[in-house]
Amino acid sequence: MRQLIDNDYLTMLSRLLIGGMFISASFYKIIEPADFAKSIWQYHMIPGSLINLMALILPWLELLIGLALIFGFAYRGAILWANMLLGVFIIALISTIARGLDIDCGCFKAGESATAPAWDALWFDLVAMFFAVQLWIGKSSRWRFRLDLINRGCGG
Amino acid sequence: MVLFKQLMTLLILSVVLAFGSNLVLPNSIPFVGEYRSISSSGEPIVPPSAELGDPPFIDLNRARFEYDLGTAIFLDSRSPEEFDCGTIPGSINIPFEYMPDGDLTEYLDSAFSGAAFDKTIINYCSGEECDLSLYMGRFLNTSGYTNVMIFFGGSREWEQAGFEVERRVKCDN
Repeated sequence: MRQLIDNDYLTMLSRLLIGGMFISASFYKIIEPADFAKSIWQYHMIPGSLINLMALILPWLELLIGLALIFGFAYRGAILWANMLLGVFIIALISTIARGLDIDCGCFKAGESATAPAWDALWFDLVAMFFAVQLWIGKSSRWRFRLDLINRGCGG
Repeated sequence: MVLFKQLMTLLILSVVLAFGSNLVLPNSIPFVGEYRSISSSGEPIVPPSAELGDPPFIDLNRARFEYDLGTAIFLDSRSPEEFDCGTIPGSINIPFEYMPDGDLTEYLDSAFSGAAFDKTIINYCSGEECDLSLYMGRFLNTSGYTNVMIFFGGSREWEQAGFEVERRVKCDN
């Protein structure tokens, strides 16, 4: 089991899946922050004064996490962010389902154009969490861009 | 310590990019939203005449949120006289009953100042006794506007909640 968790190829697959997911989730929200603000508002979980800040910052954080996972810079930090965000998303979706709110998750698109119902998004996030946790506990360190090694003149 | 540095680096970079992009990109929003929280049922008023395929109906909470967000067009479908008596501030007036015949593409485009077809339009009239917003919503949908919503509580529910109303003339009622 340990060998599987530490497998270089499984780790790379997880990085591409989670990284790709975060990158693709960020684009529309960066371009249309007002739509994303509406999606956040619909959850009724965030104080009004923080909605816009979250709508502006979260998509960029998602983009950077995705890039960091795929290219392997700020690697452990990106994995921890990914796990924390997925944890928050899962809690928010469970809360939405428990309160019977009929809203779209705002995961990839946002506002009225979003299409993923809460249950679908929850299953999707739970599967993503599996790969994100594998990245956290796995020990593979191949194919990572490490600034400290480049500074010492031996990249890779 | 390295982990904390990485977490903070990603966060600070995100904040910088968020603020920078919001200054540059066309669809910017205020950094801090001033949204009022309203204690209402949260259920939109839906008229009995509503049909499947009608634009979505929104409640006062959502209407107020859109107003505070400031990116939607508020459209009052009543006559100019009623519009002048009191309307949601910043609304435009397209009187449904007085709209010209024929192809209204240019008319609507001009009324909406060339807004894109997916622009959020909050459409309303007086309140529950008024179906103009419903007819206007259907008309806008068929005219290609894809993000039309009907606030059926209308200007009355807005005013009863204590929100500001724009009056151009003094009226009896």
